[in-house]
Amino acid sequence: MQGYRKYFTKKIIWFLITFVVAVTLNFILPRLMPADPVSAITGKLAAGNADAKAVQKIYDRYAEEFGTNKPMWQQYLLFIKNMFRGDFGTSFSQYPRKVSNIISSAIWWTVCLQLPAILVGWILGNVLGALAAYLRKGWDKVLLPVTIFLSNVPAFGMAVTLLVLFAIKWKIAPVAGGYAFDQIPNFSWAFIRSVITHYQLPFWSIVIISIGGQAIGMRSMSIYELNADYVKYARFLGVKDRKIVGYVFRNAMLPQITGLALSIGTMIGGALVAEIIFSYPGLGSTMYSAVTAADYPLISATTLIITIMVLIVTFLLDIIYGFIDPRVKAAQFDA
Amino acid sequence: MKNTLRQLMHSSKFVVGAGIFVLILLTMLIYPLINPGNPLEMIGVGTFAKPGTYFSLYDALDTKTETLKLKDAEEKRLTSIVSMEDRVSMIEFMEKIGVDVSNVQMDDVDTILELWNANFDETSKPKGVTNAKWRNYKTLNNRLEKIGKEERAVYDVDPATNEEKKLKLVGGTDYVNVNTVTNIKTLPLGTDNFGRDVLKELVSACGTSILIGLVAGAVATFIGLLFGLLAGYLGGIADDIIMFVTNVFTVIPSFVLLILISYSIGQEQRGATVVAIVIGLTSWTWTARSVRSQVISLRNRDHVNLSKLSGHSLAKIVLTDILPYIASYVVMAFILQVSSGILSEAQLSLLGLGPKTTTTPTLGLMMNWAMLYAAHTNGYWWAYFPVILTITLISFSLNLMNTGMDQVFNPTLRD
Amino acid sequence: MAKKMLEVRDLTTKYITRFHEDVYAVDHVSLSIEEGKSLGIAGESGCGKSTLALSLMGYYFPPLHYMSGDIIVDGKNISGMKPDDVRKNILGTEIAYIPQAAMNALNPTQKIMRFVEDVIHAHDPKMPKGDIHDMAYKRFELLGLPKEALEKHAVELSGGMKQRVVIAISTILSPKVLIADEPSSALDVTSQKMVIKMLRDMMESGMIKSMIFITHELPLLYNVTDDIMVMYAGQIVERGTAKEMVFDPIHPYSKGLMGSIIVPEEGTRDKVLTAIPGTPPNLKNPPKGCRFAPRCKYATPTCSAMSIETKDFGEGRQYRCLMSVRKIREVYESEQQ
Repeated sequence: MQGYRKYFTKKIIWFLITFVVAVTLNFILPRLMPADPVSAITGKLAAGNADAKAVQKIYDRYAEEFGTNKPMWQQYLLFIKNMFRGDFGTSFSQYPRKVSNIISSAIWWTVCLQLPAILVGWILGNVLGALAAYLRKGWDKVLLPVTIFLSNVPAFGMAVTLLVLFAIKWKIAPVAGGYAFDQIPNFSWAFIRSVITHYQLPFWSIVIISIGGQAIGMRSMSIYELNADYVKYARFLGVKDRKIVGYVFRNAMLPQITGLALSIGTMIGGALVAEIIFSYPGLGSTMYSAVTAADYPLISATTLIITIMVLIVTFLLDIIYGFIDPRVKAAQFDA
Repeated sequence: MKNTLRQLMHSSKFVVGAGIFVLILLTMLIYPLINPGNPLEMIGVGTFAKPGTYFSLYDALDTKTETLKLKDAEEKRLTSIVSMEDRVSMIEFMEKIGVDVSNVQMDDVDTILELWNANFDETSKPKGVTNAKWRNYKTLNNRLEKIGKEERAVYDVDPATNEEKKLKLVGGTDYVNVNTVTNIKTLPLGTDNFGRDVLKELVSACGTSILIGLVAGAVATFIGLLFGLLAGYLGGIADDIIMFVTNVFTVIPSFVLLILISYSIGQEQRGATVVAIVIGLTSWTWTARSVRSQVISLRNRDHVNLSKLSGHSLAKIVLTDILPYIASYVVMAFILQVSSGILSEAQLSLLGLGPKTTTTPTLGLMMNWAMLYAAHTNGYWWAYFPVILTITLISFSLNLMNTGMDQVFNPTLRD
Repeated sequence: MAKKMLEVRDLTTKYITRFHEDVYAVDHVSLSIEEGKSLGIAGESGCGKSTLALSLMGYYFPPLHYMSGDIIVDGKNISGMKPDDVRKNILGTEIAYIPQAAMNALNPTQKIMRFVEDVIHAHDPKMPKGDIHDMAYKRFELLGLPKEALEKHAVELSGGMKQRVVIAISTILSPKVLIADEPSSALDVTSQKMVIKMLRDMMESGMIKSMIFITHELPLLYNVTDDIMVMYAGQIVERGTAKEMVFDPIHPYSKGLMGSIIVPEEGTRDKVLTAIPGTPPNLKNPPKGCRFAPRCKYATPTCSAMSIETKDFGEGRQYRCLMSVRKIREVYESEQQ
């Protein structure tokens, strides 16, 4: 029990430090540039506005909100304070909407799309990888190159391809959005059905992409495990093949949890871009419109939220892994 | 070295991967020689010209014609003028005015035309047909009237008097040899939204993207290698510090950092090289991790200890006793970095944070333009599909090479 | 005469390599063990002794393939049986196996007890878990192993403990033949002694009826087994009792093998150690005639020309050489002087 507590304390401290670094980077990177974000904003905003007074007024307003007229450390404290209050300022492109408001309506779309998609992709990929390793020969010869090819299609490429085939050519799926344009978000059956049909293409495009990488990793892990001595030993004691495949699958899959934790940061990048292709109302599309409109407050908040989400998922996966793999327990808890 | 190469040549995966990659490189080198010029030159005034060979109609009029009597020429002309949509609206019209069309087949153009000519009267608008529809029917009818004419006239307009002068008559059996037309342009992949030759642009973009990948890969591999070597070889506090930094940057999504940095740099400063370096700066972490673990396993080998006892300098030990042993590993990591660098550029560009758009195209920028102009929803596949395929092929070939190398260097994975 | 626990007649098995070449690692091997007896198999690495161990169980996975011959366990011929019957009715119950690398022989993520359950359920699917647990606890107690080990994962056990646990699991169904493939080679001296003692105790108490012990360490065999067989290039070159084999080897190869042992006795330091020159042949295309001929200092051209069968002499002794026993002894004697 002592070991467990030490392990988790270590993990939590680690998580907190990473969190602070991530938040600080989010604060400091845009401020390292010669022009402060507020003058960049007002510069864009004032492009069509000749009235110097009005520009000054806008500048003052944003300078006040971000505190750019204060010393750096005070700005940082203000940034942290606002972050904990969930206050990310006012959006510039969707003025006068609050950034927190925009984010909170987008975040659930992203969470509900990405988490299940990555999870399903991970499971399917692992099953396929294990199959390829177990069946070897013919299957492997076909399956491996196909999976390598599929895993190299960029996420946006898969998204565009699915969109063109299913939505435009065969017209069996909607082209864009999270729900039909004539619907208003509510809990009616029609709305839910609309959400489900709009969900399919973005979901599967992310699933198909994540299958490949996972399957390849799982295949190598399974081949490694299939050649392990314990497999041979169990066979020579007459243990059933089905049981042995179970051992191999479990042992190969456990490290894949760490693999998922490590790759989730990369995967989310592709998945966010896939959202843009489908104009899915999640964080990816929000970020896209923020970049297009040079909406600094919105960009800053979106990146921060995505970072925090990835950190939390990684942390949880780490904890789960520590619990279920006795190899980690033996190595970490007793140490 | 020679032996390693020979071993690699036995791996079919490596050979296929390297083959595809070399083919892409050769295309990049040779195609600009065949089709020189600025890849961003806007040759088309309209947008999204279809792929194919274009010859100047102006020149064709002056070209000597030959008369060819081809049996199915009339038939083909008919089906091409009266499109499926036209046939549907013709039948729709006739149904409306009460003609029995229940036995008419859609591909039987002759019958449809016959019925139409017998029943369509330009002067009387039937009841229940909207004005807009009626206008459409009349235009359709005008178009159909040309059918069956033996010859069509070409007129020259005198700009001074605005007077039309008949130049020549063109008959249905007049043919022009394509090779004798003076101006011909083949656009194998058509043009894009700005009227630029997509293939030329693609070849150039492919080169830039691979360069971005190489620079990003070199930067990432250099940093990763340096950190990995230091952490693995020195151990102790240096290891702790470097691994701490590495772990932090592994967990913070590199894509987010990429966005923040790219955005902060600003559109004007973002050349292809800058983007490449930024990508490299955000993607070195796993190279550092794996190099470190390799170095740790080497650190206590006999030959390294011997060098240490002989008083060799750190640099010398690393260069002669450690690097050669992890060289294959570093090359593999570099290959993967190149591939992910190309992908990162594409994703960044799609977000609108790619390299400056005025000088050279990149694969990501081409994709971005195609999406901005909705090429995908309008069926202009040539503007985006070749780009996706190119990115996939580059990345596929690099990964295949990597898998092949992995199987050669890690015997347990061999089949 | 005691009951024969295992009889093998003319067993031949081969590996098919990646490049579709055949490697006959076990070539017409015959042997037999009586109840209560143990047999040691010795040879250089690559001589086919580990393959023989795998082949004896009648359960083949690629790249190993069965070619011909009979394996008779306690009167039952298992060489013609279906693989699934062998798995269910022979492995673990009739013949049990202790692998070479016991360090990794246990699934690292499984509790030992779960594995014991799987092993027993493979042969008796209906046995209640409670009975299995009782049986395992009893057996561990009998063998002097801590009961707690059963509730641990393999990663939590020390190397020596892992090896003893593996032996306990292998023999939990009291097999008629135990095949131990270098069970102690990777252990330190103390653990090695414990393992050997454990195996001997099990033989004496009748927990296992007979044993085949494979090793490259000849002195160990002299201490452990009743009989010794020497293998070379997939064939048996000599067989005899442990004492005979150590003090009176006939075949030049056995002689060489014994000669390369260091026995810590008075005067050992002055004794000349005779290493056998050359390396074992490549089994992809073994030498014609006597396989040892290329390395044998007594070889004549005839040795490489004709194939040589095993010859019997004395009580249950066999050897495979062109020369007669008397001739060989004469040669050895003249060398001594």
